[in-house]
Amino acid sequence: MLKLNNIEVVYLNVVKVLHGISMGVEDCSVVALLGANGAGKTTTLKAISGLLRTEEGEVTDGSIEWDGERIDRKTAVEIGKLGIVQALEGRRVFGHLNTEENLLVGAYNRRDHYAVSEDMSMAYNYFPRLKQLRRNIAGYLSGGEQQMLVIGRAMMAAPRLMMLDEPSLGLAPMMVEEIYDIIKRFNTEKETSVLLVEQNVRVALNIAHYGYVMENGRVVLDGTADFLRNNEDVKEFYMGLSAVGAKKSYRSVKHYKRRKRWL
Amino acid sequence: MAEFLQYVITGLAVGMVYALIALGFALVWKSSSVANLALGQLVLISSWFTYGMLVQASLPYWLGLPLTILFALLLGWIIERFALRPLVAQPILSLITVTLGVAYFLEGVVSFIWPMSVAALPRIFPVEPVHIGPAVVSQEYIWAAVISLALFGLLSLFFRYHRMGVAMRATADDQLAVQACAIPVTSVFSTSWMFACVVAAIGGVLISCIGGITFGLVETGLKSFSVVILGGLNSFVGCIVAGPIIGLCENLGGGYLTPLIGPGIKDIIPFIIIIIVMFIKPYGLFGETRIERI
Ligand SMILES: Nc1ncnc2c1ncn2[C@@H]1O[C@H](COP(=O)(O)OP(=O)(O)O)[C@@H](O)[C@H]1O
Ligand SMILES: [Mg+2]
Repeated sequence: MLKLNNIEVVYLNVVKVLHGISMGVEDCSVVALLGANGAGKTTTLKAISGLLRTEEGEVTDGSIEWDGERIDRKTAVEIGKLGIVQALEGRRVFGHLNTEENLLVGAYNRRDHYAVSEDMSMAYNYFPRLKQLRRNIAGYLSGGEQQMLVIGRAMMAAPRLMMLDEPSLGLAPMMVEEIYDIIKRFNTEKETSVLLVEQNVRVALNIAHYGYVMENGRVVLDGTADFLRNNEDVKEFYMGLSAVGAKKSYRSVKHYKRRKRWL
Repeated sequence: MAEFLQYVITGLAVGMVYALIALGFALVWKSSSVANLALGQLVLISSWFTYGMLVQASLPYWLGLPLTILFALLLGWIIERFALRPLVAQPILSLITVTLGVAYFLEGVVSFIWPMSVAALPRIFPVEPVHIGPAVVSQEYIWAAVISLALFGLLSLFFRYHRMGVAMRATADDQLAVQACAIPVTSVFSTSWMFACVVAAIGGVLISCIGGITFGLVETGLKSFSVVILGGLNSFVGCIVAGPIIGLCENLGGGYLTPLIGPGIKDIIPFIIIIIVMFIKPYGLFGETRIERI
């Protein structure tokens, strides 16, 4: 239902960061977008959600289609109303609002008040901890709780596609696991597609059906989660495993990288 | 004693109007981090507009006063739409400079349409004074305080429970995240300007009812700056606490120090207070510090 056809993105009219990205997200699927820092993952999400414009970025070539309709010229508000929501990187809760108000802001564009309050219980059902914290000021929640709140806020938009930018960043492994379980549950129970940006390749591929690997603004590899999990290069670069399954030292990875590049 | 009480009551009442006008600053500052330097001129032009409606066009109150509100809403919308929005994403200094431009523009409009420099509004409120203990206070003060407080209450409810009110507070926290929730920040900004103009207009009319329409209304705007600085730039509670403090100090200081020091001391007092507060609490009494978690 979402298709990116060879898009290019330029910031400030000069800095070209995406050099022709093509990818797609099917109905009800989880797609992982992987890659190192600065690869252009966040930029790709912002191109889809229309947030690029406020960052003085622009899709200069290619097209983005949603159910066959071009959306790359639409505003963030219009795109949001089509059912696409992006949870920003870095747990950006509204610090001075309480938990419940944060969730309500996520449902801003919905007029079906009954369904919104239903979804509020749904969000609390997915994140029972948030229910206990509903009157707490969001700025003082723990990192994991804030990440839950950001995802819950995205759920409150009743999206058809939820885009999450590095939800595991800076969280303890237990917390990452808990959050990923919930994302997976949301995906299957609500039949919502999820586009997942991650550097934590292992957890992402655990729940994803399909994945794309980005490097320097290009997609260098894509395939099913199984394929990527077993791909030697992915193992090598992103999971820190060599062919025999042993940890590789950073230095030898760098050396390898010098020898062989994807492009 | 009667004199003291009188100073206190009128000081508190006027202070609450300052607080109301100061909201016009805090609202815009909170949602868009733009310092609204046109506050005094907004107060001025709306008061003259009211004069135009009630005196020059001799409209009845029930028509003239709502028209003033309408005028303020429209003014706020126009300022945001045509002066500020074209500059979105420009350095914040340009935006602040634009509000200064708006201020001078409005001042020009006022002296063009209403060249007389003073005028009086008709007595909107009942004429007979009220006796509070030994003090005798004219009703304008009481109504000014009551109306300001009521509006304050209404606005607090709005920010607490209304969708747009919550969205405005969210915008104050994180503009990009608000956009990621598909909230049109432009309508948040224009709502904040419309509200700012309405509170400035109502505050202006209340002050004009007390002291007439003069160029001093711009100074009233300046005093509201001292209210926001004292209360903390982005705190609504700060406004309602700091307003009466400023009003009180101004009145008591003015009342008792003028014979000793000379006229003019009344207008300096708020600024002396600000300087002292800035030394002790640079964020103001209730300024929101950024919540930092590590
Ligand atoms: N607002 C911006 N203006 C200019 N360049 C930017 C902007 N945002 C990101 N970039 C650049 O685009 C590249 C990709 O960034 P990003 O999409 O954030 O990567 P990732 O999310 O994969 O770490 C980086 O080189 C970054 O410096
Ligand atoms: Mg990123």
